[in-house]
Amino acid sequence: MSIGLRRGLTTLSCRILQAVLPPALQPWGWAVRYEAASIQDDTEALLFTLDSLSGLLPRAIAAHLLRPFAEGLTIMNLLDGTMRRPRALGILCAIGAALLGIVYMVIAGAPLRYFGINIGALGIGLSMLGMLGHAASADRRWADAAIVTMAGALLATALLGAEVDGAARWVNLAGLAIQPSLILLPVVLVAFARTRSATATTGIVIAAVAMALQPDRAMAGMLALCVAILTVIRRDRHTVIAFAAGVAGFAATLMRADTLPAASYVDQILYSSFDVHAGAGLAVWSGAALMLVPGFVGFSRDPHNRVVYAAFGAAWLAAIVAAALGNYPTPVVGYGGSAIIGYVVSLFALPKLTAVPARMGGRTEDLADRSPSDPDLFVALA
Amino acid sequence: MPRSRALSPHARTVLSVLLDAGGQWSHGYELVRLAGVKSGTLYPLLIRLEAQGYLEAEWQQPTEGGRPPRHAYRLTASGVQLARANPPEPSVAPASHGGRATI
Repeated sequence: MSIGLRRGLTTLSCRILQAVLPPALQPWGWAVRYEAASIQDDTEALLFTLDSLSGLLPRAIAAHLLRPFAEGLTIMNLLDGTMRRPRALGILCAIGAALLGIVYMVIAGAPLRYFGINIGALGIGLSMLGMLGHAASADRRWADAAIVTMAGALLATALLGAEVDGAARWVNLAGLAIQPSLILLPVVLVAFARTRSATATTGIVIAAVAMALQPDRAMAGMLALCVAILTVIRRDRHTVIAFAAGVAGFAATLMRADTLPAASYVDQILYSSFDVHAGAGLAVWSGAALMLVPGFVGFSRDPHNRVVYAAFGAAWLAAIVAAALGNYPTPVVGYGGSAIIGYVVSLFALPKLTAVPARMGGRTEDLADRSPSDPDLFVALA
Repeated sequence: MPRSRALSPHARTVLSVLLDAGGQWSHGYELVRLAGVKSGTLYPLLIRLEAQGYLEAEWQQPTEGGRPPRHAYRLTASGVQLARANPPEPSVAPASHGGRATI
């Protein structure tokens, strides 16, 4: 056997050992690899490595097999991983809230097609989020253009949308009445929290005008509360302008009567659900609370992006409060696909990953941190 | 709670070699040669000793240029006590099952 081949087999055996060892034992893989590299005799080095491989292989296999059963570890890792991914957490919350909404509707005896529409909306929202996540870049100009475009769409809806009892909030699409403000406004607000440029501020002013024109107190209130919180957290010229526009828009809606009656399984269900059944009430309130979880978790765990989570939380809190106080759609847990789509799509504006570093582990991870790098071995084996 | 079992003859020998090193750092291949054990026996043993606090390990930078760093080992204070309490047995007879050590 040639010298080169023996050294090659030694390296290959070391790589196999490192590939099979669990993360906690990786430093020992490096230890064997470097020790073999320091052995002058090629045959000795190969035998040393092969024997180490055969000795450690059963331990590595056992560690992999036992990992799922490590007490509490898997659940803790899953929980920690989810908490560090606001979008993923938001998706879970959206699914949970929508399912709780269906529980309410089943107990309340809502028509079967309502469930289908809510589930369909959840699917559409998740698909849109998936497409946006892959297609859109984090470029600020892209965000600015998107905010202005969405605000323009809201204005167009206010001017040209389908009208019911003096309110023009809907667009008829494939036989369904879509409420663009519930889909677009939360995205606009959370995106504005991230960019806050002159262009984005213009978009907020346009959106405030659109809300005031309808009038839609719920959505105008969402806009006003959101920019008010942004102003408190991080005041700058753009936020102050947006705040002024938001307050003016909300004030305009308060001065005009909103005479729309409550729709079954859509409006006024936060309190009425308890009249139906305690389980229905619990489902509605739990679902509503679930919607706020990504904002709370992100706000507490990711100090670098607090303003974004605050905007997200404020937007959906305003929607819930509005639904509690007036005849406005109860988001996600009430019948109506627009709020479900809007909630899921607004997750797009959240950071994918919190800035919190991974929890540092114990002694084995410290050992891994101290392990030398791969290039050292290249030098040694050269 | 660690499983209680007696030290194997190989473990006693390796502990003895480490004890003889007198606080000096030892390397894997050196232990293989001095203790007369195979590396496939040595490394699982070192891992257990380190996990139980009887052994400390560190990476040492090479003294010669172009050589890799090496993983070095020495007994901790409790490791020294363990080694003293479990000297190598003169024969290859099976170890006693008194359960004195827990590795």
